[in-house]
Amino acid sequence: MATETRAMDKREAQQPQGVERTMTRKVFMPRADIYESGESLVILLDMPGVDEKSVDVTLEKDILTITGTVQPHIPEGHTLAYSEYEIGDYRRAFTISDVDRENITAVVKNGVLRLTLPKSAQARTRKIEVKTQ
Amino acid sequence: MAFNLTPWKKRSALPVRREESDPFLALQKEMNRLLEDFNQSFGMTAFDGEQKGIWSPVVNVSEDDKNVTVSAELPGLDEKDVEVSVSDNILTIRGEKKEEKEDKGKNYYRMERHYGSFQRDVVLPSEVEMDKADATFKRGVLTISLPKSKEAQKEVKKIEVKAR
Repeated sequence: MATETRAMDKREAQQPQGVERTMTRKVFMPRADIYESGESLVILLDMPGVDEKSVDVTLEKDILTITGTVQPHIPEGHTLAYSEYEIGDYRRAFTISDVDRENITAVVKNGVLRLTLPKSAQARTRKIEVKTQ
Repeated sequence: MAFNLTPWKKRSALPVRREESDPFLALQKEMNRLLEDFNQSFGMTAFDGEQKGIWSPVVNVSEDDKNVTVSAELPGLDEKDVEVSVSDNILTIRGEKKEEKEDKGKNYYRMERHYGSFQRDVVLPSEVEMDKADATFKRGVLTISLPKSKEAQKEVKKIEVKAR
């Protein structure tokens, strides 16, 4: 029987082979929307619980890595009565090419990170004028 | 000896089954079509049920002696986009996640996030005082704190564990 889809069946982030985490917190892959808008690529990541101070975006060679840390949001003294989602840090990496690295912008609002990656000059489409003979 | 070069013998010998001649294929196609209609009416698309349509946020419920706290992860939304109400021990969270204007009509390479309207009913573990509920939205996490009613607080009776 079809049921309503549940948001955020969180997926655990994959670690490279042989690498372990030093802490026991869970790490999840935030959901992403990627689209192209004119001269740039936009990536939107859902990371509830992070703000601009707790998110980290780094670009190394061709890999863009996004990490976010989250504070537990159970109030003090409370016990968990019913839990449908787990709370943990976020991590996701993308390979990118043809991007103007100096002008990447990142904005966090309401737990959503918006990355704007402008395309590099070579990658932009050039319109070729068609002339008649 | 007449050697038939072309394999057009009887219909049943053809490796390709044609719909008219194969009732099972026709039945399968009919069932697929019915299920597609079924999915459409629930607001899911054929892709992966995760696009625009009806979705439901997940919640965590925690409590102590005096309060019940419900938290839901709703990234991208703020207090203007949600409506929270309590009735008879059931908490209802309702709202709509709209696409940002600049995102509409763009070429998407990947779409994993949810959009559209949602509603979620949460049964609370105990009676609460509806007038004193408090809801805050921070960093995309909605936290609703409801004080337990006096009757509910009294009901908690500690049972002493004695050693034999």
